[in-house]
Amino acid sequence: MRDAYVVGAGMIDFGELYDQSFDDLLEAAYLNLLEDVDKGVEPSDIDAGWYGTIDFANEGSSGASVAHATGLFEKPITRVENACATGSDAFRNASLAVRAGEVDLALVIGAEKMLDDTAGLIQGAAVERLWRGRGVTMPAFFGMRATRHMEVYGTTKAQIAEVSVKNHENGTKYPHAHQQFECTVEDVQDSPTVSYPLNLYDCCPVTDGACAVLLAGEDVAHEYTDEPVRHAGWGLSSDTFQRGDDLALSNFPASRHASSRAYERSGYGPDDVDVAEVHDCFSITELITYEDLGFCGDGEGGEFIESGAPRLDGHTPVNPSGGLLSKGHPIGATGVAQIAEIYEQLRDEAGDVQVDDPEVGLQHNIGIGRNATGAVSCVNVFDRG
Amino acid sequence: MSGPRYHRPKRQDQRLVAFECQSCGWVSYPERKRTCKGCSAAPAEYEEVQLQERGEIKTFVVQHYLPDDIETPQPVAIVDVPQVGDGEPARIYGLLAESELDELEVGREVEARFRELFDDGDRPINSFKFAVPRGEK
Ligand SMILES: [Zn+2]
Repeated sequence: MRDAYVVGAGMIDFGELYDQSFDDLLEAAYLNLLEDVDKGVEPSDIDAGWYGTIDFANEGSSGASVAHATGLFEKPITRVENACATGSDAFRNASLAVRAGEVDLALVIGAEKMLDDTAGLIQGAAVERLWRGRGVTMPAFFGMRATRHMEVYGTTKAQIAEVSVKNHENGTKYPHAHQQFECTVEDVQDSPTVSYPLNLYDCCPVTDGACAVLLAGEDVAHEYTDEPVRHAGWGLSSDTFQRGDDLALSNFPASRHASSRAYERSGYGPDDVDVAEVHDCFSITELITYEDLGFCGDGEGGEFIESGAPRLDGHTPVNPSGGLLSKGHPIGATGVAQIAEIYEQLRDEAGDVQVDDPEVGLQHNIGIGRNATGAVSCVNVFDRG
Repeated sequence: MSGPRYHRPKRQDQRLVAFECQSCGWVSYPERKRTCKGCSAAPAEYEEVQLQERGEIKTFVVQHYLPDDIETPQPVAIVDVPQVGDGEPARIYGLLAESELDELEVGREVEARFRELFDDGDRPINSFKFAVPRGEK
């Protein structure tokens, strides 16, 4: 099989985009993508599209939504939904089709309107009743891991807060981030309790956004850019704490399965990763992801953040874009935006958040599903080809 | 909203009946399943087992933001509920009730108390909530 390469990325400013419709978001990301491609691209060159959204705004989104927003009719466009891994799994599916030789040039586009629905996430999570995972909100699902991690490994709330401090600092330097402010460990700890042990600044904001990337087969990639970024490895997995493994109470085995497959396929290991965009829907999620991706040992996530290793100038910079904590988490767009950032990083185009000459980049999502009992993870690995 | 889904696991809810995979020992509660989350057996053979009315908090949170009609703070735990006799416990979400927040900790034993959880519009749904046993602080 041939390799698939990213040859362009179109990001929009994430935020509270009340003046833009779902259609507007998709259109803006698509136009930014077309403009971003080094050697240009004609819409007619695009063979197929993969569209990531959980359709939080309940607009009945199908592949046809992308056709309407972009004018790309008469082409196969597939909607993908896979919880927080929606965007990254849309990308993975597109890449598989490109690798198979079925598609030369594939559009991957993710979008979410999180703020049109006034009921919001809390109401949505607590559907009807508090019972058996219904009513276990997202901060609660991830907060359970924080309580357990603190108990088993002695991780402190201050260490967890450090993740939020780092990512907010990065976010002030990343132009597309929603929340652009710095905060201290004290600020995090003084912010209101959302779901003990997590406080408000341990949680990502609620954000609208969209992002698009273009994937090309290796034999055509150079028609679009001289610096394509190779999709070197991928993995997708699901898990549940109900299976009885105690590790699933403090960490996410799904992230471990997905990343070990991605490492195996790419031939790289955690020590080879020069820059990572990982799922920090909550500060604790990033801390345990350091362990799940093998950046440090089990129980060492607290020391890892304290050591400065995941900072922009550290050994393994994590979330230079400010992560979901600062950038925001428009679910269908999230994974695609992480991939767009890795694309810029590996091309040394990441501006104020550029890390030092990275060769290998990793993107990761972990999501929640099935009444807060299930977890799904997608990991993609990239290199300079 | 009422619905059959609240009434399907009635026996499990009211009697703490669970199901043990005969291949690997994994315990399903409350679903009566024909496949196994532990060993992927399909079809899996299950035997009914009885759970104890006590369990252990494996982890927990205290939710402060919930829809307006739900009382907060609302603690929720993942609880291991052992079988009567030998075998693996069932690992389930449990609502915590009638307990002080500062009594909650990982490893704390809690007892199941049979309560009306809510009314689906037609009929009450009765099941278990978990609480720190009285006088065992
Ligand atoms: Zn089994």
